[in-house]
Amino acid sequence: MMSSTISTDIIRGHTDTIILNILRQGDSYGYEIYKRIIQLSGQRYELKEATLYTAFRRLEKEGFIVSYWGDETQGGRRKYYRITEEGRKHYERNVKDWDFAKDILETLIKGGIEDVRE
Amino acid sequence: MSGNENGLDQRIKAYFDNLFSGVGASQQLFDLKEELTINMKERIADYRARGMDDEQAFKEAIVSMGDLSGLVDDMRRLGQDTARINIYSSMANRISAGFIVVGVLLVLFGIFVMAMTYFMQMEGVAVAGNGIFVVAGGMLFTYGLLTRETDRKYAMNKVRAALYGLSIGSILFGIFSAAVTHFSVGETYVSIASLMVFFLGGVGLFLILALTGSDRRKPDH
Repeated sequence: MMSSTISTDIIRGHTDTIILNILRQGDSYGYEIYKRIIQLSGQRYELKEATLYTAFRRLEKEGFIVSYWGDETQGGRRKYYRITEEGRKHYERNVKDWDFAKDILETLIKGGIEDVRE
Repeated sequence: MSGNENGLDQRIKAYFDNLFSGVGASQQLFDLKEELTINMKERIADYRARGMDDEQAFKEAIVSMGDLSGLVDDMRRLGQDTARINIYSSMANRISAGFIVVGVLLVLFGIFVMAMTYFMQMEGVAVAGNGIFVVAGGMLFTYGLLTRETDRKYAMNKVRAALYGLSIGSILFGIFSAAVTHFSVGETYVSIASLMVFFLGGVGLFLILALTGSDRRKPDH
């Protein structure tokens, strides 16, 4: 299904931010979040559902998200997640950190030593 | 078609039950299973809409979910914690601990006093008389031990445990009275007679209890 995928090592530290990014745009549940992440990546990245559940538990414990049961009547209830105020702040912080880190990483990975002036 | 769907529901349930088998029950585990189940059903429905048959869709869904062992470990930890809290904080277990401690101390006290009076070279009847502490201690200890809930077994109900205590006490009292009679009357046949009454009563009661007991083992062990 995926034409090419990103190494999990690169993305691992950003799992929580990715989930918060989905949830800040509306409440959602496990499988839907999973599909949205694939969609958002342009079919290039799949975050395993198993990883999501572990992250949900962690984020809920830290107070960044809350969960509630949906009222579907057919085929069982869905468990929805909603971002909290605390979660939004955490997301904004992570975005800032990312903006800062990505410039530095860019030069660290591609930059030539001779280009740098003392 | 609806029969098919029921079959699939059963398979999904069996799959998660098996995945989390041996994990102590907790509200979180119950909720997680429900969450995993509904999401897996939806995934399977998507795969079927893409043209897979039930079998393919089910297998594909399991593989695509990824490695759930981290979640299983989380749940196992939770299950153990709740079991531990339930056992060690319960009032009943503190009471049972009290019975065990007092019982053991009484038995030891009886043994020490008996040894003391023996070496003081007092009469045999006085030495044996202190055995009553061992009898009482043995009863309390038995009761305390049986009313205790452990990791593996539930506590016995109080009436039953008390009857066990009585049967052990009766057997010990038989031995005790035999010893006292032996030293005071000096006739062995009288002492056997007094042993017999309590000893038989105790053994009889013990056997009845032992043969009618229910299984107190916890399901996960």
